[in-house]
Amino acid sequence: MNNRMMKMIDANKCTACPVHNVGNLKKLGINMKNYDYVVALAGNPNTGKSTVFNNLTGLKQHTGNWPGKTVTRAEGGFEYNSSKFKLVDLPGTYSLLSTSTDEQVARDFILFGQPDVTVVVVDSTRLERNLNLVLQVLEITDRAVLCLNLMDEAKRNNIKIDERQLTKDLGIPVIPTEARQSVGMQDLINAIFEVASGKFVCKPYRFKSKSKELNYAIEKLSQEIKEAFPDIPNATWVALRLLEGDQSIIEAVGTGELGNIKQVNTSLEEIKLKVESI
Amino acid sequence: MVDPLASLIVGFIIILFLIWVYLPRKGLLVRLKRSKKNTHRVLIEDSLKHLYNCEYNGINCTLNSVAGNLSISADEASKVVKKLEELELITSHERGISLTPEGRAYALRIIRTHRLWEKYLADETSVGEEDWHIAAEEIEHHITPAQADALAAQIGNPVFDPHGDPIPSAKGDLPVKKGNVLNTLKMGEFARIIHIEDEPHAIYSQLVAAGLYPGMQVRMMESSKDRIKFLANGEEVVLAPLFAKNVTITPIKNETTVKGKFKSLSSLSVGEKGIVLGISKRCRGQQRRRLMDLGVVPGTEIEAEMKSIGGDPVAYRIRGASIALRKNQADKIYLINE
Amino acid sequence: MNKTNGHNNEAILSLANNLRWEIGESFHDKLMESIFANATTIAQKSVTTPIEKPTFSFDRALDRIVTSPVLGFPMMFLILAVIFWLTIEGANVPSAMLASLLIDTFHPILKDFSLTIGLPWWLGGVLIDGAYLAGAWVISVMLPPMAIFFPLFTLLEDFGYLPRVAFNMDNLYRRAGAHGKQALTMAMGFGCNAAGVVAARVIDSPRERIIAIITNNFSLCNGRWPTQILIATIFIGGAVPAHLAGLVSAGAVVGIAVLGIVFSLVVSWALSRTVLKGEASAFSLELPPYRPPRVLRTLYTSLIDRTLIVLWRAVIFAIPAGIVIWLVSNITVGGESIAEIFINWVDPVSLIIGLNGVIILAYIIAIPANEIVIPTILMLTVLVTSMAGVGSGDGVMFELDSVTATEDILMAGGWTLLTGINLMLFSLLHNPCSTTIYTIYRETKSVKWTVVSTLLPVVMGIAVCFFLTQIWRLVVGN
Repeated sequence: MNNRMMKMIDANKCTACPVHNVGNLKKLGINMKNYDYVVALAGNPNTGKSTVFNNLTGLKQHTGNWPGKTVTRAEGGFEYNSSKFKLVDLPGTYSLLSTSTDEQVARDFILFGQPDVTVVVVDSTRLERNLNLVLQVLEITDRAVLCLNLMDEAKRNNIKIDERQLTKDLGIPVIPTEARQSVGMQDLINAIFEVASGKFVCKPYRFKSKSKELNYAIEKLSQEIKEAFPDIPNATWVALRLLEGDQSIIEAVGTGELGNIKQVNTSLEEIKLKVESI
Repeated sequence: MVDPLASLIVGFIIILFLIWVYLPRKGLLVRLKRSKKNTHRVLIEDSLKHLYNCEYNGINCTLNSVAGNLSISADEASKVVKKLEELELITSHERGISLTPEGRAYALRIIRTHRLWEKYLADETSVGEEDWHIAAEEIEHHITPAQADALAAQIGNPVFDPHGDPIPSAKGDLPVKKGNVLNTLKMGEFARIIHIEDEPHAIYSQLVAAGLYPGMQVRMMESSKDRIKFLANGEEVVLAPLFAKNVTITPIKNETTVKGKFKSLSSLSVGEKGIVLGISKRCRGQQRRRLMDLGVVPGTEIEAEMKSIGGDPVAYRIRGASIALRKNQADKIYLINE
Repeated sequence: MNKTNGHNNEAILSLANNLRWEIGESFHDKLMESIFANATTIAQKSVTTPIEKPTFSFDRALDRIVTSPVLGFPMMFLILAVIFWLTIEGANVPSAMLASLLIDTFHPILKDFSLTIGLPWWLGGVLIDGAYLAGAWVISVMLPPMAIFFPLFTLLEDFGYLPRVAFNMDNLYRRAGAHGKQALTMAMGFGCNAAGVVAARVIDSPRERIIAIITNNFSLCNGRWPTQILIATIFIGGAVPAHLAGLVSAGAVVGIAVLGIVFSLVVSWALSRTVLKGEASAFSLELPPYRPPRVLRTLYTSLIDRTLIVLWRAVIFAIPAGIVIWLVSNITVGGESIAEIFINWVDPVSLIIGLNGVIILAYIIAIPANEIVIPTILMLTVLVTSMAGVGSGDGVMFELDSVTATEDILMAGGWTLLTGINLMLFSLLHNPCSTTIYTIYRETKSVKWTVVSTLLPVVMGIAVCFFLTQIWRLVVGN
């Protein structure tokens, strides 16, 4: 409650600031035709990802206290600071490294769909486990925002999170939210806007392995990949996927399509079709 | 009105008949399928596979070994070998029989399908370990290379089968053979099992019954002509030397070896904590990946939180979340024994 | 793309393959371990958790009660009983109101209206007696219980109680080769099988999910309860002394529901050991923290997402059924309606399984909605026995307020106690309604599993009725 009061006071102080100008936000539901930016929404199951999605778009997807409830509608939109954002809700997954269809759709969209921003929604009470997915996302993309959701629950359990430290360590904006109470959504939207428009330049954390064997293999392979495809920003991820035998990456490397990834911009539907056809 | 007794009898007869036809393993349908198995092509493909295995393991193959391996008469075996020669898949010489490049490529295709299918059954289905090989023996003759590639793509292009054998790539590449048989390990030395031979089936099922699997750490205790005694994950196992020959190991340095016994997650009582040492290799495929996604990796602290009414499953606190695991899963998660 | 580049790509792929052989099978394990080790380092820097655990935690205390060997199961049964009681009691009044409005008031008005505008009698019959009546019937029977049952169930779900139920029930379901969450999809199935099938989404293990979908039909759904209660009251209650009638017939209905649960467990067990061996199984069950449910939001979403969608599908399927029902009883060939010809034709066969031609025909044309089975049976019985003074004409479904009047019609149709029992069994064990069949297909995207879940119960039903009938005749005589 206090938090909300603070925000209202803040809003009164600085009506001209885009951050606090609620009037700048328009919830566009599913009526999206032309958009300036694509935003992907990733996260573990049962972290309130759908609540965040509904909150941003004004849609009413069913949510429940169960992992993995969302199945239907995956796209919506909103307008902020006269830029139109298309929001794509990815399947909720614990990881992006396995063979399940959901995970494949999610990782292929972040890699091939080239979203302008990827928002990772995490459960603040289980940050450590959720960071697993965050670190994987940061291997694929440079532009991400971390949404620390369910802060109310964290507070109830006396868990404190130092957002500044986290921002520093991960190199991306970290926004605490309580989506169920619509707290922090303005900050989230603003962070999305800043990353999308390039005002905030992310310096994503890249993970380091302690296994020598692993490091040798990853480094050797990513070296080769960088030589063949000098333009791609995530050679390590490609190397990881090749070492896991991911078919879509093998094909993208084999045909050389990986080099043209910047122009591809595949939609979620195309990726789903492709994944299902395997 | 139909006589009830008569119709009752007819009803029972129909049910018995259906059971007889559809019974798994022994039913008519299964037997019909099996009798079709020994066709010409199957014999040819099986003997190519056998010849390739000889070559890979550096053994000389003869007409007799072909006959023995395929359990056919020497007469039939010579017919098959003759046919193979006509097809230019093999060449015979005084030291035995060897494969031509075409024959080798053919054999590798069959082996690839076989091992892929075993990997598929192990990771993506609930088919029991003892049935993988039998099922793969059958399916390997019916899948085209294209279908095999599609299967490989679907299950993440695996490079090892569940027994620890490398799976040939689509182009027919295969790494050089590594490791030694268990019998060569000296007393007190440590090693890791890298492969368990699945032929002949009788020996394989004994090894599986003894709880051995690739990835297991062993320490030799006694190696004599009569018996091989060793510690496998801390448990004592005794095998006949003949059986031990079907287990391939690679020596490991002492430092990575776990000292002493370790306990399973299921041994924790409510309120107790432990640090994960690893997940047993017997836990495979989706189940294994799920556990790791939930944060069950070496170094994670796990606390047993509460029991369900029946005592199984038990909820564990894993990296901040309550996750219920069944006893047979918790048995396969090992903790450091302090 | 030039050639040298293409060559490089191939080289990368074969390098990757060789590296994989070198690392061995543990690549994924080591990678996950590294990522989590990194995550731990980062989290330790920015997260502070209370060092001392609070002496009292609401979640812990509640969990202790919920999983207590003494209180756990009684509490679960009590909560379920309250939900069912609220559903049945609460739905009575609005159901009756809807029925009187849609069937007793609007139907005659529409009928009169069609006469005034001079609609041909057959067109009025097809549209008003067939399509409209079937749709109205389904709405009045289905809507009120679903609108009560689903929100209540969703509230429990949002609160976090249902995962605990799955946690406690898993011991039983594991033995049957299924997932503890199947207890929930089954409970949902008591409301509506189609909704139960959709609810199976929460089971994330492929094999257990298909088991839950195939066996959901063994949960006696809301559309079948009225049939059970009516038949039990007439035949089972009628067979015992009057002062026991209420108790015994209620016991018979509960017995059928319990039998359904037993069947679902047995079939789960058999499926997991035979045809479903080819599906992967991966158990994990997360117990989320308790969260205060948001009542208004839940009411809204469960009404929209579950009730209305399911109802809409049911109505869409019921309307053609209504048309077919009207047509088969009104199109005549050689002086007899198609319905009569069919009934006479299947009667001898259906008597072997202790049913009759009317029941078989009613179940065939009422596949779209179990709710209209009884009205259809009554209408067809009147049609076949040529009773005078009952019903509203050929092809017009009806129901009677008085149980004795219904009994009179059924007795005239040649029904016995055995027919009653068999109908109760067959109502439990027959193909799912077409809404459910369609939902199964949408959820599994597999023709094979859809066919299995459609045919398995009906074959079982025929077999059970057949053996019961023969034994009955041997022991009791006709």
